[in-house]
Amino acid sequence: MTITETSKIGIAILSLYGTLDALSAPELRNNRSIIDPEKTVVIDLQQVDFIDSSGIGAIVSASRQKRQPSGGIVLACMNDRVRKVFEITNAQKLFHIFDDTTAAVDFASSRQSASA
Amino acid sequence: MNNSNITLTLPAERLFARVARQTASSVADLVIGDDRHEPAGRDFSHAFELAVSEAFTNSVTHARESATPQVVKLTFFFEQRQLVVSVHDANDPFTIETPVPDIESYPENGFGLLIIRKVMDHVTYRREGNYNIISMSKTL
Amino acid sequence: MKTILAFRESEYAWVHEKFPCVHPLLLPLCNKPFIEFLIDFAILAGSSAVRILCDGGLGEVERYCEDGSRWGIDLSYASIHPDDSIHAMLGKNRKFCGEERVMIVSGFSFIRYDKRYDYKSFVSSMPPGEWSTCPGGRITLTGVPTKAVPDWLIADLSLMPLDSMTSYYQASMETLKTGESRYVLPGYGDEPECAFGRNVVISKSVEIRKPVSIGNNVQLLGNAIIGPSAIIGSNVIIDRESSVESSIVFDNTYIGEHLEIIGRIASGNRLNDPKSGASIAMEDPHLLSGIKKNRHLRSLPRKIVHACVALVIIAAFFIPFIILWPLLKLGGHWKSSPASFLAERTDETMPLAKVEVDASGAAAAIAVALSLDRYFRLFRVVTGQLALIGSTPLLAGESRPDAPAYVPAYLPGVFSYAEAEEWAATGGDATIVERFHLAHSNPLTDIGLVIKAFINRFQEKSTI
Repeated sequence: MTITETSKIGIAILSLYGTLDALSAPELRNNRSIIDPEKTVVIDLQQVDFIDSSGIGAIVSASRQKRQPSGGIVLACMNDRVRKVFEITNAQKLFHIFDDTTAAVDFASSRQSASA
Repeated sequence: MNNSNITLTLPAERLFARVARQTASSVADLVIGDDRHEPAGRDFSHAFELAVSEAFTNSVTHARESATPQVVKLTFFFEQRQLVVSVHDANDPFTIETPVPDIESYPENGFGLLIIRKVMDHVTYRREGNYNIISMSKTL
Repeated sequence: MKTILAFRESEYAWVHEKFPCVHPLLLPLCNKPFIEFLIDFAILAGSSAVRILCDGGLGEVERYCEDGSRWGIDLSYASIHPDDSIHAMLGKNRKFCGEERVMIVSGFSFIRYDKRYDYKSFVSSMPPGEWSTCPGGRITLTGVPTKAVPDWLIADLSLMPLDSMTSYYQASMETLKTGESRYVLPGYGDEPECAFGRNVVISKSVEIRKPVSIGNNVQLLGNAIIGPSAIIGSNVIIDRESSVESSIVFDNTYIGEHLEIIGRIASGNRLNDPKSGASIAMEDPHLLSGIKKNRHLRSLPRKIVHACVALVIIAAFFIPFIILWPLLKLGGHWKSSPASFLAERTDETMPLAKVEVDASGAAAAIAVALSLDRYFRLFRVVTGQLALIGSTPLLAGESRPDAPAYVPAYLPGVFSYAEAEEWAATGGDATIVERFHLAHSNPLTDIGLVIKAFINRFQEKSTI
């Protein structure tokens, strides 16, 4: 899996490409923006072609590390394959999910300034 | 592939989960035939791939430390519109009746068997000698 | 234009409780799933794409509706939070909405519309804001109108909350009465107020009183009275001398003999009173009748007849078996693994071999066509552990809704009644067939059904 990190109005955007499974999940878990409890992160899942329980676990774990678990990680552009796995595990209940990265960043930014 | 068996033996290492799931996806596509481009066919293939990936990863996660390299054996079988896969490993016995993780407590683990039970039609576990066998089937 | 259909689990929690066998968005109203009425309305209003939002699972809905191609629209799915406002929903679906006008239907409520009105012109000329509302439901429009409102244009529309079994019953009965004139409803029929699905078998003495709506694969047996105001789902059997009036019978339900269902909702083994909300659960998950503990199932004559026929089959197939079995076993085409199955007696299990024959060669194909994979099980009939024909043996330890040993009409057999009827050997409809035969068959009809099952298996295997 490849992680491309960009930033917009102080929000880190992690775009994931490829497979998010037991082999690649540690890479996400150890990402610097993920580890930082103060940093709000938007994860773009558009290009994830496969996710399993380890991948879901990594994203849930990332959220847990944030000061505000329900808003510290915002998800964007879930494709159908990814969305179905989130739904099977009920993990979609833990996140705000957007179909557009810009909208996700706007939301994350408003949450970040509200909590500042 | 009516009534044909496909057996695959892989080292019990995380890397090979991808081989296991890609094989599962190919086998599923084979039995689905032309419907693999339809939404129902795609869902079938994805569900099967996911269940195999989870079962394999589960075997690898619980593989014993031993002098001889551990393996995980997958057997695929298709009969009467049912695609069946058995996953054999030589780990300690376990149960598939694990509780559903409480999502509100942000659990990081415990989703694997939940996924398997949800996406497959029938899931059974048995112990044969020193082997665990998870058998999972899905009807087309 | 685009449409968003938004639901929260809390709005339809009562459906989970009263009708656990169906996803609330697929709750049938006059044999048509609830969500289809909304999709129809979205199409009438001129939508090219519909997105279903929910804070709960949508898996079953998605499996049913797929990508919307059957309606000629683009259908997609997404998640929301329970406390998301309309504004938040629009933000989360910004890409979907684009620059177009969006109609948001939120809440678990039934839209009373009339397909004869021109909603498309109406919606494109309405100012943004709330269009219609009811407790727990609303229709909102965003974006600027694209047309001026013509003076002549009217569009009748109201919302009805579906917040209880009572309102669900009212909506169903209202839909049945207004019928085809307002909504697109399933079924065929030469007469108005009479819609029939496919494969409906009606005995000559059955009386049908309009209005009725009957689903697919339904059997109405002698002297049954159906209607007025009866909605019968799919895979339903209404047995002799029973009547269904002002009632709804859900899919996969068997109404036993001499029963009167008036002003009720029958679902599986539950009989609900829509007025009081009370429900009674019957013993068997599918048989809606006060069945006895099927004493005749255990009766000695049946066991003797089954054992005798099993002995005849054992003798008749002894030679092919003794030739083919070692051949297949040695060639690795015959695989047998032990498994534990639920026994006839509650809470007991029995070991049975699961045989898999790889029918790639001629010998294997013959063995499979002759059902030799079941040969060893015939000896269990002689010892009385299995019936020759009965229910499909259920694996112990599997979590499946119809399995557990509380089922009183479960009699594991070498062959199953579902195989005799050429119905899919698994699933709810097969279960109904098995229950029906377990309640009605006798040792002699069993012999006929064994022959049918054998022939069906022979034809199935020899055409693979």
